[in-house]
Amino acid sequence: MKNFNWSKYSKPIILVAFVIILSVLKPAEFLSVSNFISILTSVAAIGIMVSGTIFVFLIGGIDLSIATLLSMSAVVAATIITKMGGSVIAVVIGLLAALAVGALAGLLHGYITTTFAIPAFLVTFATQSIFLGLAQVLSNNNKIACTWPAFAILGQAIVPIIFMVVFALVSWYVLRKTVFGRYVYAVGGNPTASEISGINVKLVSIMCYVISGFTTAMGGIILAAQSQQADSALGAGFTNDVITAAVIGGISLLGGEGTLPGAIFGAVLMGLLNNGLSLMNVDSTQSGLVKGLVIVVAVAFDAMHHADQSRKKAKKVKKGAAAPELS
Amino acid sequence: MAGNTILEAKNIYKSFSGVPVLQDVHFEVKAGEVHALMGENGAGKSTLIKIITGVYAKDDGQIYWEGKPVEINTYQDCQKLGVACIYQELSVIPPLTVAQNVFLGREPRKGPFIDYAKMNKMTQELIDKYQFPLKPTTVVDNLGIGQRQLIEILKGLSQNSKLLIMDEPTASLSGQEAEMLFKIIQTLRSEGVSIIYISHRLEEVYMLSDRLTILRDGKNAAVLEKEDIIPAKVIETMIGKVVDESAGSKKMLHSNDEAEVRLDVKGLTDKTDRYRNISFQVRKGEILGLGGLIGAGRTEVVRAIYGVDKAASGEVYLDGKKLDPSPKNSIHEGIGFVPEDRRNQGFIPLLSTTKNVALTNYDIVKIQGTSISDADELAMSKRAIEAIDIRPADPNKEVGVMSGGNQQKVVLGKWLMRDLKLLIVDEPTAGIDVGAKDEIYSILENLAKDGVAVIVVTSDLQELLRVSHRILVMRKGDIVKEFKNVEVTQSMVLSAGQGVEEEAK
Repeated sequence: MKNFNWSKYSKPIILVAFVIILSVLKPAEFLSVSNFISILTSVAAIGIMVSGTIFVFLIGGIDLSIATLLSMSAVVAATIITKMGGSVIAVVIGLLAALAVGALAGLLHGYITTTFAIPAFLVTFATQSIFLGLAQVLSNNNKIACTWPAFAILGQAIVPIIFMVVFALVSWYVLRKTVFGRYVYAVGGNPTASEISGINVKLVSIMCYVISGFTTAMGGIILAAQSQQADSALGAGFTNDVITAAVIGGISLLGGEGTLPGAIFGAVLMGLLNNGLSLMNVDSTQSGLVKGLVIVVAVAFDAMHHADQSRKKAKKVKKGAAAPELS
Repeated sequence: MAGNTILEAKNIYKSFSGVPVLQDVHFEVKAGEVHALMGENGAGKSTLIKIITGVYAKDDGQIYWEGKPVEINTYQDCQKLGVACIYQELSVIPPLTVAQNVFLGREPRKGPFIDYAKMNKMTQELIDKYQFPLKPTTVVDNLGIGQRQLIEILKGLSQNSKLLIMDEPTASLSGQEAEMLFKIIQTLRSEGVSIIYISHRLEEVYMLSDRLTILRDGKNAAVLEKEDIIPAKVIETMIGKVVDESAGSKKMLHSNDEAEVRLDVKGLTDKTDRYRNISFQVRKGEILGLGGLIGAGRTEVVRAIYGVDKAASGEVYLDGKKLDPSPKNSIHEGIGFVPEDRRNQGFIPLLSTTKNVALTNYDIVKIQGTSISDADELAMSKRAIEAIDIRPADPNKEVGVMSGGNQQKVVLGKWLMRDLKLLIVDEPTAGIDVGAKDEIYSILENLAKDGVAVIVVTSDLQELLRVSHRILVMRKGDIVKEFKNVEVTQSMVLSAGQGVEEEAK
């Protein structure tokens, strides 16, 4: 076992370890199809959002406005649907409007960061309160009930999970298989070299923010459908959750590194953790502590993996250069 | 002149993940000597230096400082002993001034505040003493890499170190700046300071060093005294094969004026006056060398031709067609560009050889619908690896962890996958070992044979003479001299670059 690469397989190991521990401790409650479905539905919105925000993380950007953008998008949808009387057509128009709002917000982020060279951290820090304010104004600071059947169905049974799977698959495909996906990694890894390689770095960056805004809006819609209401506080705490999922999933906030399966793993692990803690009747005051510790462990494993790779670097370089004299 | 042993590393062993990198290495430096450390990329030089400076922990062996055994566990430990290391990869901080960088972490204070006046004065004194072309108050952001390197050196000097470690100090210096550095090294030696000098430029090593330790494959290959340092022998010991390095001091240039004009540059002028009214042509199959000092405007001119930066005025024609220079358009028209700063501009460190090679070539990689053909992408990468012998020959290897020579081959390799009309290379072999240099030269020569026009910007005079069919020399933003169909020497090029008109012999 000495040569077993623990760090490389840290993610599946952590996941399996969690499942085993919970299966042993709470076999009846944990090991049921309905419980697994409930775990996945609980993280569906995070999964949907991280499928898009990963693009921003990969180019080395950040989005601190996730929570308020998703609230605002949901409030936009709910307001329009209410005004139009809750018909199926009203729902469709409301959803399209919310997604457009998300994409536009992303466009704004992308345009400002690239054109004025302001760090994404600052831009989205500012826009988060703009979005919050708009959501409050639009909703009159009230909860808007979202019980129209055509809307509520989006949050029922496994529908959110289906959305998560579809968003994740599309995101995986784009990142893994398309030229745009390649450019995203290149821009995140070295923008100057990307520019010289003929990549329109500005356009790629703006696209990433648009995708991120779009999926954030979708996350807002799913959350509103799940809770059957929308207000300006709908997304509270979700900026942290999405960034945490990404970081647990091994996505470097410095850009250029990380995969979509990693991000989804991060989201699912958070769901497992919440589920396990509530099954074990851990008090909510303590569950924060436990969650924090698990995040530290997951991130430490990842850091070890990286340290391991940089040690290999030295080794491989030696091998590579020693080779010529053999020929 | 050299006195007692100041630093001795005995029986040093080091391995990474079970692969030995240093085996029973001995290394000794005497007070007041310039001791060169040579070896191919990957021979173990950097590892040995990192052990001496406390960056890596050794597996076995002992280090002695002035005869006493010492433990060096951190870089601070070695600084306390009086060792300063001038790193190959620049560690200057761009938003700070020259003086702030030099005294970083050691700022002179007045009460709780930094005494800037004193700091600038102390920096000015150092600059005056060694006659560096720097000002204490200049913000580093505005300086080129050559000058940044000088700041690194200044930082080392300001610490009154007994031992300076210089890793490729001239890699990004112009000939004039390098000359200045050599003088500084002589001065330091006469003051009793020891210098470990690591360089791939053999002529510098011959000229400067009192002794030479050669590492090969992680072991001591030889320790030579000054009188035993014979070029051919050194190279042979170092790489185990004979390299043609001797024919470098003069060359007979030949131009073929029959060939069609490929690139025609007319009146290119910069917005900020770094170059002005630049006009020249390059013909099919011609290798044009662009010589001159760092800061003469050569890099700026080629960047404008390729379109990374825009010129204020002037026109560029390729095969008679007027171009609208931008990287994307240039690539489309068949122009390739290898930038001067490999690490920051050349490649994507975290991505594999395959993805780096494919980066400029997605117009020729097979794509079904929107889906890149992994097989075709991989096949291209394997062709590149094969064509220019990239090592390790692993298409999935992250380029960031490869040696400098192989990184450069990846940067170059991606252009070889396309039908090129013009290739521009800027300092193509900086910091690369002799073996890889030769390979890169033959790649350029083969491209020229196939009709590609090649522009080589280089501060390495030997390289300039070696590869060029014709040479243009720039000085302070103007083309000041053309060498064509004549016998040219290094000193002729150097004089033209420095503005000294030399009488034709």
